[in-house]
Amino acid sequence: MSETGIITYAVLIPLLPMLAFPVILFLGGIFNGTPGWVKKAREGGLIALTVMGASLALSIMLILEHLHHTGASDIFTWFESSWWNSSTGDIRTDVFGVGIHVDHLTVMLLFVAAFLCFLINVFSIGYMNTDPINDNRNHRFYAEFVLFCSGMLGMVLADSFLWLFIFWEIMGLCSYLLIGFYYERPSAAYAAKKAFLTTKVGDVFLVIGLVMLWNLFDGHLDYAYVFNSANIAAVDPGSLQLALGMMFIGAVGKSAQFPLHVWLPDAMEGPTPVSALIHAATMVNAGLYLVARMFPFFAEADVGSLSTLAIIIACIGGVTAVMAALIAFVQVDIKKVLAYSTMSQLAYIFTGLGAALWLANNGYSEAAVLAMGAALFHLFNHAMAKGMLFMASGSVIHEMHHAHHEVAHHGDGHDDDDFDAQSMENMGGLASKMPIASTAMLVGSMSIIGIPFIGGFWSKEGIIANTWTVAMEEPIFILPALLVLGGAGMTGFYMSRMWFMTFAGKPKSEVAAHVHEQTPWIPIPLVVLTFMSLSAIIFAGMHSTSWLGDYDHGHFMGFFEYIGEELHHVFLNENPFLLMLTYVAIGLSAILGPSFAMALYGGRLDDGEKAKPWVQWAIDLSSKVRRNSHFDNSAWANSGLANSLHQRLHFDAVYDAAMLKLVAGFANITAMIDRVVIDGTIKLIESTSQAASQKVRLITTGSARDYIMMVALGTLGIALLLWGVA
Amino acid sequence: MSANSTLDIKNKEFILVGLLLVTVAGLAAFFPSLGSNAQGEVDWISLPLVGFPIVVSGILMAFASQESRARKEILAGPIRLATLCFSLIPLAISTALFFDWLIAVDWALGYNEYALESRYHWMESIGVSWHVGMDGLSFPMVWLTTFLVPVTIIMTWEEKNGAVYHPLLLMMGGALIGVFVSLDLFMFYIFWELTLIPMFFLILSWGGKDRRYASQKFFIYTFASSVIMLLGLITLYFLQPAQDASTNPWVGDLTGRSFDIVTILDQANHGNLGDGIFLGMGMQKVLFVLLMIGFLVKLPAVPFHTWLPDAHVQAPTGGSMLLAGVMLKMGAYGMFRLPLALFPDALMHYQHCIMAIGLISLVWGAFVCLGQTNLKKMVAYSSVSHMGVILLGIASMQPIGYAAALFMMFAHGIISPMLFAVCGAFKHHYHSMEIGAMRGMAKFSPFLAVYMMFAWMASLGLPLLAGFVAELMVLLAYWAIYGWWILLPGLALAITATYYLWSMQRTIFEGGDEGQPPATLLGENPPDLTLPENIGMIILAFFTVLFGVFPFIALGMMDDWTVAFFEGVFNRGGI
Amino acid sequence: MIDPAWVSGLSAILFILGLWGAFSRKNAIVVLMCIELMLNAVNLQFVAAASHWGDVTGWVYTIFAIAIAAGEVAIGLAIFLSMYGQHETISLDEVDLLKH
Repeated sequence: MSETGIITYAVLIPLLPMLAFPVILFLGGIFNGTPGWVKKAREGGLIALTVMGASLALSIMLILEHLHHTGASDIFTWFESSWWNSSTGDIRTDVFGVGIHVDHLTVMLLFVAAFLCFLINVFSIGYMNTDPINDNRNHRFYAEFVLFCSGMLGMVLADSFLWLFIFWEIMGLCSYLLIGFYYERPSAAYAAKKAFLTTKVGDVFLVIGLVMLWNLFDGHLDYAYVFNSANIAAVDPGSLQLALGMMFIGAVGKSAQFPLHVWLPDAMEGPTPVSALIHAATMVNAGLYLVARMFPFFAEADVGSLSTLAIIIACIGGVTAVMAALIAFVQVDIKKVLAYSTMSQLAYIFTGLGAALWLANNGYSEAAVLAMGAALFHLFNHAMAKGMLFMASGSVIHEMHHAHHEVAHHGDGHDDDDFDAQSMENMGGLASKMPIASTAMLVGSMSIIGIPFIGGFWSKEGIIANTWTVAMEEPIFILPALLVLGGAGMTGFYMSRMWFMTFAGKPKSEVAAHVHEQTPWIPIPLVVLTFMSLSAIIFAGMHSTSWLGDYDHGHFMGFFEYIGEELHHVFLNENPFLLMLTYVAIGLSAILGPSFAMALYGGRLDDGEKAKPWVQWAIDLSSKVRRNSHFDNSAWANSGLANSLHQRLHFDAVYDAAMLKLVAGFANITAMIDRVVIDGTIKLIESTSQAASQKVRLITTGSARDYIMMVALGTLGIALLLWGVA
Repeated sequence: MSANSTLDIKNKEFILVGLLLVTVAGLAAFFPSLGSNAQGEVDWISLPLVGFPIVVSGILMAFASQESRARKEILAGPIRLATLCFSLIPLAISTALFFDWLIAVDWALGYNEYALESRYHWMESIGVSWHVGMDGLSFPMVWLTTFLVPVTIIMTWEEKNGAVYHPLLLMMGGALIGVFVSLDLFMFYIFWELTLIPMFFLILSWGGKDRRYASQKFFIYTFASSVIMLLGLITLYFLQPAQDASTNPWVGDLTGRSFDIVTILDQANHGNLGDGIFLGMGMQKVLFVLLMIGFLVKLPAVPFHTWLPDAHVQAPTGGSMLLAGVMLKMGAYGMFRLPLALFPDALMHYQHCIMAIGLISLVWGAFVCLGQTNLKKMVAYSSVSHMGVILLGIASMQPIGYAAALFMMFAHGIISPMLFAVCGAFKHHYHSMEIGAMRGMAKFSPFLAVYMMFAWMASLGLPLLAGFVAELMVLLAYWAIYGWWILLPGLALAITATYYLWSMQRTIFEGGDEGQPPATLLGENPPDLTLPENIGMIILAFFTVLFGVFPFIALGMMDDWTVAFFEGVFNRGGI
Repeated sequence: MIDPAWVSGLSAILFILGLWGAFSRKNAIVVLMCIELMLNAVNLQFVAAASHWGDVTGWVYTIFAIAIAAGEVAIGLAIFLSMYGQHETISLDEVDLLKH
């Protein structure tokens, strides 16, 4: 299977960051605090940047090489093991290998991961190194950061489900370490533990799924074997569906879907680059990648029905999409809004994948490829937009911190330690003060909402359309289809709400009035990603919406022809139902949702403040809408639903109680039984035998003559015995 | 004697070093004659690996025991250094044997074949011989032992009364290797019990507050179980078919029977051919249970495990490291060597019992861990839990499960010493073992915090660290045989993660900007690890990663062994 | 030549005398002497049996036993010496540390 070309070096893509991990940690441990380390190496940031740059360069070379064909390369045999057939006595040897597998799915995720990791690294150098709270521990951040990137890059490149899982777990470890970066904060320690354990629950099921799959495929987990048509056809579809379902639970945990979603909002305790990393570029996409990887199973013509699993995937996605969007309505922490938005958008992708898998499994192979492409394209758009949103929000928070320091310093001396720099209730009116961040955030929000022609619009329309297409065939799909359609409107509301609360209106605190955009390094990735989101149509033109070229049916069109096709497909669909659907969705997400948000949170900037013209229009529009509508939401804000939304629908409380009462309670009982019953039995034997020996020792008088007597008597007894025997 | 004690200290040390040099020179000089076996090959096992550590440590201890307390303090330095040097010799030899530096060793052995076999007459009347050899089962354990002894010595470099402590560790190593290389039941039993003695004194003399109770419990509990095992061994000896002493020089002149493991395994294999059952089903079951009791207590499996937490909590760090690292594996090793190979029919009969015991150990151990407040006790129970994995591997009756069990023994042999080293360092620097007595350790002792996190993660089965491969392979084998019961090991995995993470949250993390040192520290600023501790931890961590990333180094040999084992024991001459 | 039966009889008498002495006397040295007496009674028995059967094995055992008895006396006396050093008595009734 080995081939030549850049793929033989592809192993370096995850390997370089992995090797950089101990290097940065070690160097940081030695040189920490020295001027050279802080100024020249940026506390390890430049080492990380170099490595990530090399990985990105290699990735791009690999992508260019394998844009239109798959590739594979073996690295080494990890270990071998044997299996005994007890009826025939044959012994089979299973090989667990390590290798690289590149296809179109890999290519897309590799680009997303390598590109965003690099940009977030740039951002981190600006963000982390200028915050005094991080002094002397940034090397730890960069070391964990590169290990995390290594995990993601390795996961997408791995050539078997086993290695996918291994890198998956490495990412889990790093997310634990990074969320707990501010280890001295109890909330961070709690959040880190929660993230690890919640995903671990999913991981256990994933392992079980892998074990089942391994058993079904006679000791193989490598893609080359399990995706072989003959091998898929040979397995029992019911068992296969069960195995894939187990693996899907792992994906649910990793991608924070209902009901294993509770860790993601808490994960905001980590530094903002971590949030961007975990929530946009890498970890949450791992679950999607795993599900997308299952596509060949569903697409195989001879496989039995796996539709149940596809329906479950879509339904979980639909439910999460709406649930997360609802909770996002009431969040005031800017990062938490983004976290719930992430959950919701990932749920869209899951729904899209579910639809694609259903189509594939039911023989609509061409539609399935398009649906798959839409879902993956949404992954791409969401990763770019959400990475940018997190970095922009990080920029806002960072400048808020700076401003807070200034205000506290120059002010009347009252240092307000309870000041929450992440709360949107302290922001407002930042559009003029932070032009780059406000622009980036505007574009990012529009991409997530699905404003026509920008970023996520293309893919989200596709997902909604595909889900409804399936719903026409399969009635159960109407549920996720309705949910994603409704969710689109909700997205419009909460994303707009976030933007207007942050950037429009008058500053809501003294700090917000003193914000300036001044930190170096930070704007670079924002600008780059803004253009990425704006130019999504170009990627669409590069066949992104049907990026799974392996399963493509070979119609390659010219670039502009394809864009025309895409535009026609979206806006002038021949199918009247889909045509109507498009405009309903646009109406909900681009008009209805934002209008409500404008009516509630819009408003003009302070007098004399002027934002950039490409931002100012939104502010003007919002103040116009707000003036013309007298919309009162106080009844809703005090309702029971809003209350439970503030409590995150009580999931966290219930899970915590279950952990503490059920698991820990049971553990305490077992520990007590172990001590009292099991060890108690041993102690009882001990004390009984001691008591018995107290009695027996009375016959030892201590006098030598008695012992001689006993010896004599004993000898006599033996003699008698022998005599008796004789 | 009187002349000696008037010498000043410098001369004492001189004499000590001289004595050791003479010992080494003597051993080296006599090596060709003492150290070659019947085939005229050099015997790399008897003297270099087994005899040498025991004799040298005996000499060192005898030397130091004559001295006053003050002189022992002064002698501790050179003796400790000498012990370290001498412990490196077996490590060098076993490593060289792996890489074929000394002689070319063919590790691809058939069933009941051994490399580096050497054999000498001992008690000809009853068929006892000094018979040593290694195969894919024992060699990894031998290497592990030779590796752990120097690491343990380094890690506990500053232990008090080092003049006796460190030689005891060396002696422990020699006795443990003796167990693994014995191919004679008599020898096996002697070394099996010999390991108790250094460990008993380690716990008794260097232990914690309840050391008396713990050492006696440890000794009596395991001793009683091995007496049950001895009963089985002697029964086995007398029940084996008699042979003619004139044709086979290794059987006893008087009894016509042999304690030789190779001979007995041969006979058992012969008896088990086809539909035959060696000794009959009833006797197989009895002997299987007798032997298994001895090994299960040593392993230990629930419900015979309660000696372990007591012993660990009281034992000094070095004792715990060797106890968890190698001594527990003696139980698993014994199972593979004797009952599983001898009584395959009884094994099939009790397969589900073993699975149940393993499962209970695994799940019960995990839950009990979660309920502990003492850090070392939690780690001790985690050993119980992990040893359950070995039983699951055995119960799977698949080569992959057996190889997994072997690899688990090996991996846990590297990881658990690190766990206990972390506990020991924690105790050493913070004078407390309570989880939750302090917060923010990462602030005070960043290195210790890193090692703790590393060891914890390795133990909970993080991929690319040594424990993962074994767990994965056990699950693979387990699912095929027991199906949905796999949810219980899965639960145990999740609980394992929970107790480790929870304990980290309450020690390493939290504590605010200032951190909260434990009250036992009395307001002093805690120091971070000492240099020897750092070195030891880094060595252990390195090998954990090495065997996690490249498991085939050890697994290749284990897989060969299991395949040969299945061909030999279960395939019954190829039916 | 004396009939071995007489020698056996004498050895039996000596043995019983020794046994009775070992039971009844307090002084450790006397007890030791009594044990020696029993030992020699057995030696006599061996000699008698050897001459009766015409087999030298009995003599060999006797020589063995005498040699071992010599060693035993040496050890026994050494024990008594150190016992005297510790307790200032060699009366067996007063040395009963094993009881505790």
